[in-house]
Amino acid sequence: MVSLLALIGSYTLTARLLSRPDILPTTEEIAEALGALLGRGVQLTAGGEHAHHHHPSSAQMETLLQEGVTLQGALAVTAGRVLFGLGVGVPLGIVLGLLMGSSRRADDYLHPIYILARSVPPLALITYIMLWLGHSEAHRLIPIVYAVAVTMVIPTYHGARDVAGKYVEAARALGARGRRLLLEILLPAAGPAMLGGLRYALAIAWMTAVGAEMLMAENGMGNLLVGGGMWSSRLQTRSDPAVIIVGILALAAAGWAMDAGVKIAGARLTRWAR
Amino acid sequence: MTASASPPVLEAVEVSYAYPGPTPTEALDRLSLELKDNEFVALLGPVGCGKTTLLRIFAGFLRPTKGSVRCGGASIDGPGSQRGYVLQEEAIFPWMTVRKNVEFGLLAKGLEPFERRKVSEELIRLIGLAEFEEAYPKELSTGMSKMVEVVRVLATDPSILLLDEPFGALDAQTRQRMQDTLARLWAQRRKTVLFVTHDAEEALYLADRVVVLSPRPGQVKATFAVDIPRPRSFETRFSPEFLALKRQVWGAAGLGVSGGG
Amino acid sequence: MMTWLSARRAVVALVAIASLYVLAAEVGHGRLPDRIWMGAHYVENVQLLPTWRSLVEEGTFLIESNILLDSIAVSTRRVALGLLLGSAAGILLGLLTGSASRLASLADPWVTFFRFTPALALLPLYVVWFGYGESSKVLLIATNVAVITFLGAHHGVCGVPRVYLDAAASLGANGWQRFQKVTLPAAFPSIFASIRVAAGLAWVTIVVAELINAQMPSLGYLLALAGAYPRVPTMLIGLATVGALVLVFDLLALLLHAWGTRWMERAA
Repeated sequence: MVSLLALIGSYTLTARLLSRPDILPTTEEIAEALGALLGRGVQLTAGGEHAHHHHPSSAQMETLLQEGVTLQGALAVTAGRVLFGLGVGVPLGIVLGLLMGSSRRADDYLHPIYILARSVPPLALITYIMLWLGHSEAHRLIPIVYAVAVTMVIPTYHGARDVAGKYVEAARALGARGRRLLLEILLPAAGPAMLGGLRYALAIAWMTAVGAEMLMAENGMGNLLVGGGMWSSRLQTRSDPAVIIVGILALAAAGWAMDAGVKIAGARLTRWAR
Repeated sequence: MTASASPPVLEAVEVSYAYPGPTPTEALDRLSLELKDNEFVALLGPVGCGKTTLLRIFAGFLRPTKGSVRCGGASIDGPGSQRGYVLQEEAIFPWMTVRKNVEFGLLAKGLEPFERRKVSEELIRLIGLAEFEEAYPKELSTGMSKMVEVVRVLATDPSILLLDEPFGALDAQTRQRMQDTLARLWAQRRKTVLFVTHDAEEALYLADRVVVLSPRPGQVKATFAVDIPRPRSFETRFSPEFLALKRQVWGAAGLGVSGGG
Repeated sequence: MMTWLSARRAVVALVAIASLYVLAAEVGHGRLPDRIWMGAHYVENVQLLPTWRSLVEEGTFLIESNILLDSIAVSTRRVALGLLLGSAAGILLGLLTGSASRLASLADPWVTFFRFTPALALLPLYVVWFGYGESSKVLLIATNVAVITFLGAHHGVCGVPRVYLDAAASLGANGWQRFQKVTLPAAFPSIFASIRVAAGLAWVTIVVAELINAQMPSLGYLLALAGAYPRVPTMLIGLATVGALVLVFDLLALLLHAWGTRWMERAA
């Protein structure tokens, strides 16, 4: 906590010393940007309400506010995509990981295919998917699902293969079969490994979502960071570092919150672990 | 000698096993073994002689590359609760309480909660862990959790028990206590037991018969009948008959001054 | 490690996938839509699943015209540079903070901040600070790599069993010797594992950075261009190239890891 304040303090100092608001905005400017973005997307006049600021409302801010973008709105949109990606990708990854981890045969056949699938970055695929699906929501969500699934496979695989092996044997010797074996033995045994993978998949989901939005969306945090506007005009807008920093901080906060949630829920689920 | 009408409870006929790989390793070489009903047999041998392999073949997790294994006359096809198997590694389910662990086999069998409870309570009491009934395995010592694994297997009332060096990881005192507990359990619920160990004293203390295996590839090197009366106690370990047998068994296993017989 | 059986099955699986693709391409040849809406107009005659022949033709063209090789060179150089810079910084910092806990608590909020910032979110900021050129991209990769390797090094140092250090101390080793001969090697597994993860992430980062900020020649630009026309064979070849490079880097990182942990027991 103390170091957090120290962080803010040292930043404020550096910004003031540097005195280049277009590179390192002061803490006040960041706070202002935060305020502006939290408010409703009101149509601003160029001078008007902001005339008394030494730093005129930037082009990026203008574009965003004109489009009715708010920080919470954009964050909610991105979070929604993240949750969707997790909701579909995590089960997919787990199923594949469990399958590969419990059956040597399945592992031999599927592992090479998995390695190939993993090596192409999902965000690179987005250009190809666009040809099939056009600019649609599916086109943005598929890379997220793909990235999450691919990330979940390996931890689940190790959980099933390295950890769960002996428990599965003991259970089979006790007469357990099929669904009971899967739900009551394999899953809990691989659980801790899967939870670790989930935290990592969470980070990947956020990154992929933001990346997809930076490339191809008109809403969400990625869009906010890049300054609104469509594909080809991106980064032509004069970027406002204060806006960007606000965006980054918001993303970091959201990511941290979700991670903390998973960590706490995970600890409760694995109370039995040594 | 009249031939027995019923087939042996557990039988290995000329069993060979080779581990697959670039150079197959022969773990067992034409090994034959028979277990009679309610007999306690100890399998003794040095590290790597294939005793775990044989046990796993009996448990149904491995198929012999040559020869056959039979249980009550029928060939063994895979694991089954008739042959209770306790692994060498720690395999108590850490996410279940002690009671749930013990009841697991009964759950798989489809018993009602009330019936399961009856069985598990009695067994847990038998090994003196009544206060730990609702505890998680992380609160148990290694010895205690191994005993839980043993009664977990006993709960399904198998006719055969296959135990793989259950007390190997324990210190000498705990090991002796666990041996007594096991002997007591076995006295109450007679079963056919195949017990793998590398400790001759443990083998002699617990078993009716000690089978000594040679180093890899494993073959039966010698068999000793243990005629010492039960119940056996701490004093038994120092009786002349026990010590004489111990000398013989260690000799057969390859230790001792003379090669022996 | 790899038995003959596993290798055979792997080959079967890969051949199956390849044949599946060829089949799909043939089947789709007449049936898939070949008019693509490109936001403002339709483009005719697009093969969504190009046949092997068109892929080979396109590939030959790309290689002969040097487009592919130049792009590979540029992107690879950026990744390699970013990996080197980032690992050096991250590992150094991680080793320092792992050994000195006061430094660790100082660095903690910075690290947490960077950990939870999605890697790509920093790109616009870096563009503001460093412009559109090489530096912003390389520094973006370096930052992300540094965070990952920092965690790896820090975790590695913290995880050195005390017993090793005590044993070394009682054998007469001083602080620096203990660090060099005990702490460092013991931290290798964690460090090299994190390098492997960082390498994968580096490629993801560079591709997106190049897609957003497309400049010739680079692999990202190749993909963007292929997407704009569209020219599907180029796109697929580009994707395959990126995939292959990811695999190569992953293999190198794996070898590095194996070298650094060669004294360790094999996992059972």
